[in-house]
Amino acid sequence: MALLRFDAETDPFGALLGLQDELQRFMRNPTFAMGPSGFGAYPPVNIFDSPEGALIVAEIPGLDTAKLSVAGAGRTVTISGEREFEPDGDGRGYHRRELNEGKFSRSIQLPEDYEAGKAEARYEAGLLVVRVPRAEHAKPRQITVQTA
Amino acid sequence: MAEKETREIATKEKQQLAQPQEQTRPGRYYVPDVNIYEFDDSLKLWADMPGVKEKDVNVTLKDGVLTIVGQVATDMYAGLRPVYTEYNVGNYYREFSLNEDIDESKIRAALRNGVLELDLPKKEKARPRQIEVRSA
Repeated sequence: MALLRFDAETDPFGALLGLQDELQRFMRNPTFAMGPSGFGAYPPVNIFDSPEGALIVAEIPGLDTAKLSVAGAGRTVTISGEREFEPDGDGRGYHRRELNEGKFSRSIQLPEDYEAGKAEARYEAGLLVVRVPRAEHAKPRQITVQTA
Repeated sequence: MAEKETREIATKEKQQLAQPQEQTRPGRYYVPDVNIYEFDDSLKLWADMPGVKEKDVNVTLKDGVLTIVGQVATDMYAGLRPVYTEYNVGNYYREFSLNEDIDESKIRAALRNGVLELDLPKKEKARPRQIEVRSA
């Protein structure tokens, strides 16, 4: 299985290229199915796996954290919130208005190996990162080899 | 007061940049979504650049062309294995030619929650002036 191996410190451009290729590859061949709330739902998510658990990364720029809610239960993580855009001052009109505004809610169902109830979430630089730990039963266990 | 209508947000697919000039840095570039509002004494611009940190934004104004560039951070992805992806990451790039006369020295930029906020003050002479009409 491909692991994102790169050194962003010494080779930032190579790092970006490698990452882009890998993300593109999994857009065509996801390892697991997302069910009804799939492609096209807001916010768009990427899901990664690591020895500790799953990492859900969602692009949700411009959010007030007070208006962002993340809930975890069983194997489902629900992300909901609202983005408001109200610039200060009296504008004379706008030239472009492309930014998203409004409410969203999305549930992401992970395989049974993860415990969404123990997830941790962090919002930084417009990215919501939710860490969902691996369930006890799914953690790799060292098996001692016994001799006769 | 009428209740404010709230819409549901739909995901727009990120628009990959059809490169106006070749970039020396390899990789995909995306066109950030923007809002541009005009005020009496300034233009304000907001650009969605999720994944970009403050130090990696570059804003220039030259010959009336405003260029915004954001380099996306990739360090958080090291050692992870993608299992399901819906969007790709990349740097952001967009250019605008400004009709208004902007005072380059007074441009202010801030990055908040992945949104670049630009304040582009107009030069004094470009500001509308209220002309008092006096009666005889």
